[in-house]
Amino acid sequence: MNISYYKAVKAERLKLKRSPVWLAFFALPMISAFFGTMNYKMNLGILKSEWFSLWSQHSLFLCYFFMPALIGTYCSYLWRLEHTHHNWNSFLTAPIPRFSLYLGKLTQAVQMAVLGNLWIFLLFYVCGRFAGIQSPFPAVAAEWFVCGVLGTVVICCVQLLLSLIIRSFAIPIGIALLGGILGLMITNRDHGLDYPYSIYCMGMRANNPDMTIDIPALVTNSLGYIFIFSFLTILYLHRKEIAAN
Amino acid sequence: MITLKTEFQKIKRRKIGLTMAALTGIQFVWFLWATKNPDEKELTQGWLNLLYSLPLLNVIMMPTIMSVLASRLSDLEHKGNTYKQLRTLRRPGILYDAKVLCGFLFVAAICAAQILFLLVLGYCYHYTDTLYPHYYLSAFLLNLGCCFSLYLLQLNLSLLFFNQMIPLVVGLCGSLLGLILMFIKMYSFLPWGGFLSCTLVSMDWNVETRVVTYFYREHSAIELCAIGMVFIWIAIFYMTGRVAFTRKEV
Repeated sequence: MNISYYKAVKAERLKLKRSPVWLAFFALPMISAFFGTMNYKMNLGILKSEWFSLWSQHSLFLCYFFMPALIGTYCSYLWRLEHTHHNWNSFLTAPIPRFSLYLGKLTQAVQMAVLGNLWIFLLFYVCGRFAGIQSPFPAVAAEWFVCGVLGTVVICCVQLLLSLIIRSFAIPIGIALLGGILGLMITNRDHGLDYPYSIYCMGMRANNPDMTIDIPALVTNSLGYIFIFSFLTILYLHRKEIAAN
Repeated sequence: MITLKTEFQKIKRRKIGLTMAALTGIQFVWFLWATKNPDEKELTQGWLNLLYSLPLLNVIMMPTIMSVLASRLSDLEHKGNTYKQLRTLRRPGILYDAKVLCGFLFVAAICAAQILFLLVLGYCYHYTDTLYPHYYLSAFLLNLGCCFSLYLLQLNLSLLFFNQMIPLVVGLCGSLLGLILMFIKMYSFLPWGGFLSCTLVSMDWNVETRVVTYFYREHSAIELCAIGMVFIWIAIFYMTGRVAFTRKEV
């Protein structure tokens, strides 16, 4: 399993070579950070919690609406490589278990999403210093990052399943955007941790950096969703005649 | 006309209408959620509130919805590698016009559905303020203009790039940009900020009493220019897109 997994990851990396898909994860957080910092600087009279205020400006819209859609775009791209031409035939006849093939895709998606999150935090730190915040960087941000990464993996699993089933490139992205918007409504009803698209925002404390959340529930729900959606994806890969277009 | 008919035949069973209905349906759910259990004050400015909320929701969602629509209409040509075959049968300019018109019909249907939904919602809640039909008609036309300009931009990108990730990411960036612009000014000359310029209602939020008061907006000269910019964008995107598509090497 280990060797086949590494082979699958290596194959996925080769497929993505020289593809500028990472640019999206670079650009979108930059827009959010730039305007978020500008808004923070313009409203210093109201926003007095320094790092926490800046974080809410940086992360609110990005985490609720755009990161799920961005992850959806990346996952759609990963499966699009197989959906076009006759690539399913070579993909499914590769001498590697389908479980490993799926893990190869998931690893790529998670890797990119984690790098995206790291970029968001790096921008947060740089913009905070640039905005003149003198207090030390909050240690609790490490917890936001870890919880955010868990939420990211959940979205990756959901989107990989959707993009596998739906051959269209764009529809899963639309679903991800809607998922994010519905997440806002569900979080307002205090069920944020039960819904796959809002676990990420809750983990990142996007709407309220002071908020205390039930970490064991977040971890349990995330692992549960990861297991369920991964299982469904692998089952679909095994059962369906995907190659027959 | 034949080419337009062919466009609709190509998208048969691709469930584009259903996709658009689902995406617009979420907006309706949002409206139902945001306007539920109105109090006395909210009932007195319900029609105004709906006109204020529609462009703000559109500024977030429409760039992405338009990118999905444009990508769906273009992707079948990329996947099937049909450009070469199609262009031997019809002139490329006509093919482009057919795609534009096909998308325009979807956009018009979405905008009409939005306004109809707001009217039904308002009548169901028995809002007590006066409904001015010409404001709703203007909102429909301006909304249509904004959506169509974004559709043209996205169509051009989707036709230009085989990798559909690029237009979709542009759509997402546009949504984020529009949302952020909303916090800066209520008008913008950028294509994604057109919804803000075309908002017909403004609001005043009293910090001390925490009461929101809506009123019909009187556009300044620069705001009217920003509205005009929406239609200039349509002309720019249409002309550049048509030229690029006609000259595209297949």
